[in-house]
Amino acid sequence: MTKKPRPLLTRRDALTIAGTTGTALAFTQLVIRGPLSAEAMRGIGSQTHPASASGAPHQWRMVIDLAECIGCNYCVWACQAVNDVPDEAMRWNVGFPERTENGVDFYMTRPCLHCQEAPCVKVCPVGATWVREDGIVAMDYERCIGCRYCEVACPYDSRRFNWRTPANPNPHQPTWGEAEVERRPRGVVEKCTFCTHRVDRGLSQGLTPGVDREATPACVVACPVGARAFGDALDPSSPVARYLAEHATFRLREEFGTEPKVHYVHPERRTT
Amino acid sequence: MATLRRHLAEPLSLWLGLLLVLVAVGAVGGIQTLLHGLQVTGLNDHVPWGLWITHDLSAIALGAGAFTFSAAVYLFRIKSLEPMARPAVLVGFIGYTCAMLALFLDIGRPDRFWHPLVYWNVHSVLWEVTLCVVLYSAVLVMEVLPLVLENPFFGRWPRLRRAGHQLHRATPILALLGMGLSLLHQSSLGATYGVLSGRAIWFKPSLPILFILSAAAGGVGLTLWLTILTGKILHRRLVPYSVQLTVSRFVGYTVLAYLYIKLWDWAATSYYSHAPGTADALTRLQATTPYSLTFWWWEIVLGLIVPAGILLVQRLRRDDRAMLVGLGLLVFGVIVNRWNTTLSGLIAPPHWSPGVLGGVVTASYTPTWVELAVSAGIIGYAWLAFTLAVRYLRIYERPSADHA
Repeated sequence: MTKKPRPLLTRRDALTIAGTTGTALAFTQLVIRGPLSAEAMRGIGSQTHPASASGAPHQWRMVIDLAECIGCNYCVWACQAVNDVPDEAMRWNVGFPERTENGVDFYMTRPCLHCQEAPCVKVCPVGATWVREDGIVAMDYERCIGCRYCEVACPYDSRRFNWRTPANPNPHQPTWGEAEVERRPRGVVEKCTFCTHRVDRGLSQGLTPGVDREATPACVVACPVGARAFGDALDPSSPVARYLAEHATFRLREEFGTEPKVHYVHPERRTT
Repeated sequence: MATLRRHLAEPLSLWLGLLLVLVAVGAVGGIQTLLHGLQVTGLNDHVPWGLWITHDLSAIALGAGAFTFSAAVYLFRIKSLEPMARPAVLVGFIGYTCAMLALFLDIGRPDRFWHPLVYWNVHSVLWEVTLCVVLYSAVLVMEVLPLVLENPFFGRWPRLRRAGHQLHRATPILALLGMGLSLLHQSSLGATYGVLSGRAIWFKPSLPILFILSAAAGGVGLTLWLTILTGKILHRRLVPYSVQLTVSRFVGYTVLAYLYIKLWDWAATSYYSHAPGTADALTRLQATTPYSLTFWWWEIVLGLIVPAGILLVQRLRRDDRAMLVGLGLLVFGVIVNRWNTTLSGLIAPPHWSPGVLGGVVTASYTPTWVELAVSAGIIGYAWLAFTLAVRYLRIYERPSADHA
């Protein structure tokens, strides 16, 4: 008498396994929601890179007044000197002439917009970039694998990849400043940091970013006509909060839902 | 000496020789890339993804036959399809290893390839893809290993053979695991583009669905194509004729489903409506690139309509030569689709994105010789692995009836 050999796995078993796995996965999701959620991701970043020394909440923002800007390019060069970006094609803060629909010429400059809902942060497979509690979109060059998905995801073209080892001397040093951060190695992505190093160091020294020059992004300090303002939007007396209160501003491509933290004043603003 | 010369002139030796040359060329390209970084490619900050990403996406899509057949045979117990399970697993294994080779070279820091396994960002669709691809590759290794260990060569290590046999018994579980992982990452690869709100031409929920349907059609199609081709070369029918006809019909209907969603996708975004970002990007693509030609003629007509006709018309389906043409075109169409998907969103950046549009209407990209060499090398490796496996392993013979 031969018994029909029982298969190792019947369809019913398979479905049971599938169901159990699914339930387990759903449960795991709930359990790990804490440690693996967006908040926790920021937490991981804050541990390695302290958001602020004082512990008080901040919300760093920038205003660029396109009606005031004279197109001197000082902000572009100061950024390149301080952040040590020798390659002109890799500028973190770009500037170029533009014209409004009414034919008014103006000069467009654009740092990283430090989006609150940053597409680059969502897509990074290793969490090498994150939105800090103070709103700055930070980068961890040690963790970045160079997949360039963030570069593909950024709708503002704010990110630059190190295609080669940046070895050439920086033509903007020392005229526009000295290097304050290390150059990035070949194979990782970089972008404007809102001069995190200045903001963080300034706070630890009791300075006010946006007011004290040493604690303010290099581009804002370099501007000869005060077309850029920086500061804590949570502090009503900060330069940026005052600017936002007094002027109508817009942000780039709001329809993308990225919530940028760089605001622009329209170049056709009537000057008083 | 004379024997050696005759041996070397055999078609198989010539073929293997050609493949080894390709692999050597690829190795040169790979070493160049590792030494000098990605500056040896034609990629730039506007088009940071190119040929290798296309290669990677295509290889994963065309490896999808493995999970489809494993699920059909071991999970849904469609016994008749069993002769196709082994070749499908082999093709899948080769496809995934090809993809990982391409990916390894394509990241800026190959020394950090392991980072996604350690540093998790669960919000990233690419993280999910990476984890699934790694896990599924492990599944494929476990599915292929028994086929390798069966080889008489391993007869001298009986314990190894027994382990292989045990592993083979776990195939149904592996098939289940593989199906879950594949359903996830095959679609997420489409979502990699579909979730990017800043690029209108990609930003749509249809991409994950289009990716998995085209992968199922293309992956099964490639397995069948290779089977028919190998059969022609060996003058032998490798799988029962009825199986070939069943699989052809399955591929045919999958192509129809894919075509249906693809055409609606086009009609909804570009014909019945005027979605601003998409329309703008398409206009710029049509003005500066052969996008219309490659989309309508290569992807839709040659890559889908012609194969669907051949696979679904009975007279043509019964003709091996027509089948080779039809399935070959289908595989070609899937590859063109992955190229078009990747490049279309990058070549036409979002309109008025400061910095991109400092006068740039469309970005441009041409692969360099290093990129072509590496791709050729990986394709050489794929054919080499397939040829040697068919030659030395029991890929196409019925597995011995020791199910007990």
